[in-house]
Amino acid sequence: MATPEFDSDVLIVGSGASGAAAAWSLSRRGLRVTCLEQGRWVKPSDYAHSRPDFELARQTSFAKDPNVRGWAEDYPINNSGTPIYPLMVNAVGGSTVHWSGHFPRMRPSDFRVRTLDGVADDWPFTYWDLEPYYDLNDSMVGVSGLAGDPGNPPRSPRQTPPLAFDAGCEAYLRGLEKLGWHWWPCDNALISEPFGENRSPCNCCGPCDIGCPIGAMSSAHVTYWPKALAQGVQLITHARVEQITVDRAGRATGALYYDDQGVRRSHTAGVVVMAANGVGTPRLLLNSTSARFPNGLANNSGVVGAYLMFHPVAFVSGVFEEVVNGQRGPIGGLMNCQEFYETDLARGFVRGFELQLSRSVGPLSVANGGILGHPVPWGSEHHEALRSRYAHTMTTSVMLEDLPEPENRVTLDPGLTDAHGIPAPRVEYRAGENTQRMLEFSIARARELFEAAGAVEILVDPLVQESGWHLMGTCRMGDDPERSVINGWGQAHECSNLFVIDGSTFTTSAAVNPTSTIQAVALRCADWLGRNYREAAA
Amino acid sequence: MTARILTPEELALLTLVQDELVPAHGDLSAAGTLGAALTVDAYLAERPLLRRPVLTALRAVEAAAGETPFAELDSEGRVGILRQVENDDPEAFSELVKQTYNAYYTRPDVQASLGIDGPPQPLGFELPAFDESRLARVRAMGKLWRDA
Repeated sequence: MATPEFDSDVLIVGSGASGAAAAWSLSRRGLRVTCLEQGRWVKPSDYAHSRPDFELARQTSFAKDPNVRGWAEDYPINNSGTPIYPLMVNAVGGSTVHWSGHFPRMRPSDFRVRTLDGVADDWPFTYWDLEPYYDLNDSMVGVSGLAGDPGNPPRSPRQTPPLAFDAGCEAYLRGLEKLGWHWWPCDNALISEPFGENRSPCNCCGPCDIGCPIGAMSSAHVTYWPKALAQGVQLITHARVEQITVDRAGRATGALYYDDQGVRRSHTAGVVVMAANGVGTPRLLLNSTSARFPNGLANNSGVVGAYLMFHPVAFVSGVFEEVVNGQRGPIGGLMNCQEFYETDLARGFVRGFELQLSRSVGPLSVANGGILGHPVPWGSEHHEALRSRYAHTMTTSVMLEDLPEPENRVTLDPGLTDAHGIPAPRVEYRAGENTQRMLEFSIARARELFEAAGAVEILVDPLVQESGWHLMGTCRMGDDPERSVINGWGQAHECSNLFVIDGSTFTTSAAVNPTSTIQAVALRCADWLGRNYREAAA
Repeated sequence: MTARILTPEELALLTLVQDELVPAHGDLSAAGTLGAALTVDAYLAERPLLRRPVLTALRAVEAAAGETPFAELDSEGRVGILRQVENDDPEAFSELVKQTYNAYYTRPDVQASLGIDGPPQPLGFELPAFDESRLARVRAMGKLWRDA
């Protein structure tokens, strides 16, 4: 199987959710796998959870926005053309290093949007094709939750039981039961009981969004990477890729990257796999120009970077008279409400949304507005206002399906570069008309829920600026090379030994967090590549 | 501890401003009196991008006070000046407020006044387990997804 003329059989660019899963899968088959990661290992001592000023980490060392966080490993992003800022983490484990761990699956209808609803495109495979890889992925990472949700197809038993259910959940439940809406305890990539090695179950400390120092969060650096390394994968950190190299025939030959000393190096491989996220992957492909690909690698169609999708998010917070202690317990999805998930044209839009019923934050973040989007006033009213919100608030994320539009895209900024002189990405995005109609409707439903639950004050952030966690669609899958970059196995239409396996691959976005699907797609692609390596590398 | 970025005059002014932004409450002194200005100075030393808005806001406070120094105004007068600056340059002023909140709410004594015993780790919190019986109504809803 090995191709000794290359440094590696497979070179993976990026060590996050998809790169980690693929590295594990491919190395299982005996392939020589190398992964280039521009970031570093985040150490337990890096986390702020044991310090009184832990909430400051949201604004500094663990800020979601790389432009704010400013780690040496980050690259700048020109986000002047988008109301939603792209968020990411550049480290081993990628953006799973600090996230909410919400781990839903897409529904079968999400893969057949064109057929069912006449918009966008169908994926080149079905939910049922992906289901075994969802199951495999869950068994690798460890998921808390409960099978049996009537809102989704039956699924395998979850690895650990649902997370805690406390006063805030009871408040939500008052509203849900009154309205008769669907709800279910969320699947979360966060273990509630012992699972895996060197990991502790969640102890409900709260701020998952600034990382998990005890390994309860099923982040790629604690799930896949230890196993992948044990199987012999070479992971090179502080390796910033500049471009994917090609030969005269237009086949990928490897990558040029800067090492931790700033030395520009080459690494050759029989197959290159892009796993650098929905902004990083198109950025690198667009920067990989050659005589054969003057507009960027695999981009003679002009589709690389286009069709960017976020999940537009509104935060709706309910303030209750009773103490709900929303700052205690995992911050992310407690329960989801998929009452409005499938298309109902009477609502004035196609597709749908999910209400993610989540918790809240500590006093500093409450004071600054943080998740609420409304800072507490200063002056004589300050203390009363702070005390009415802190420990009395629950926040629901309204998460919408974003339809793919070619004008929403990632390009290379003509002037901005990273520390190595590599062009930075520029992101251009606007929420389409369907999205705007859905936002209005969905915010009204979240308000209705909080009113039914008895909230005494409702605060709304109608389009959260710092909500671009989900970077999708910029190297989309499809059967038509004019409208897609890769086929259903992640293989580039224009370059058969180049694969893309991250969120870029999404044909449509669905209305749920994508990481579970990103990893399942990565495993499916890696499985095919592992079985067909000789053909792909030839 | 001495300031690294703020001059003694700026530090004194910031202290007075912070006392109006977050006044005394119960047994707790106001933010400035508690020493939040020096903490903000440390933030400015660590994060140069914060300097411009914070210093701009402080200069605006001085300027708005006019011939009567801010320190010589009563609380009502100071608040009036701060409202004026907030109105004239909301971006710079909101950064000043944010950094004051940062300095104030990261103090263990302030956190204790809100019932917080310590940072989230290593103890975490004990919360009730999920009770599946709560799902009886939803289970009875039947299939809600479209096959495809």
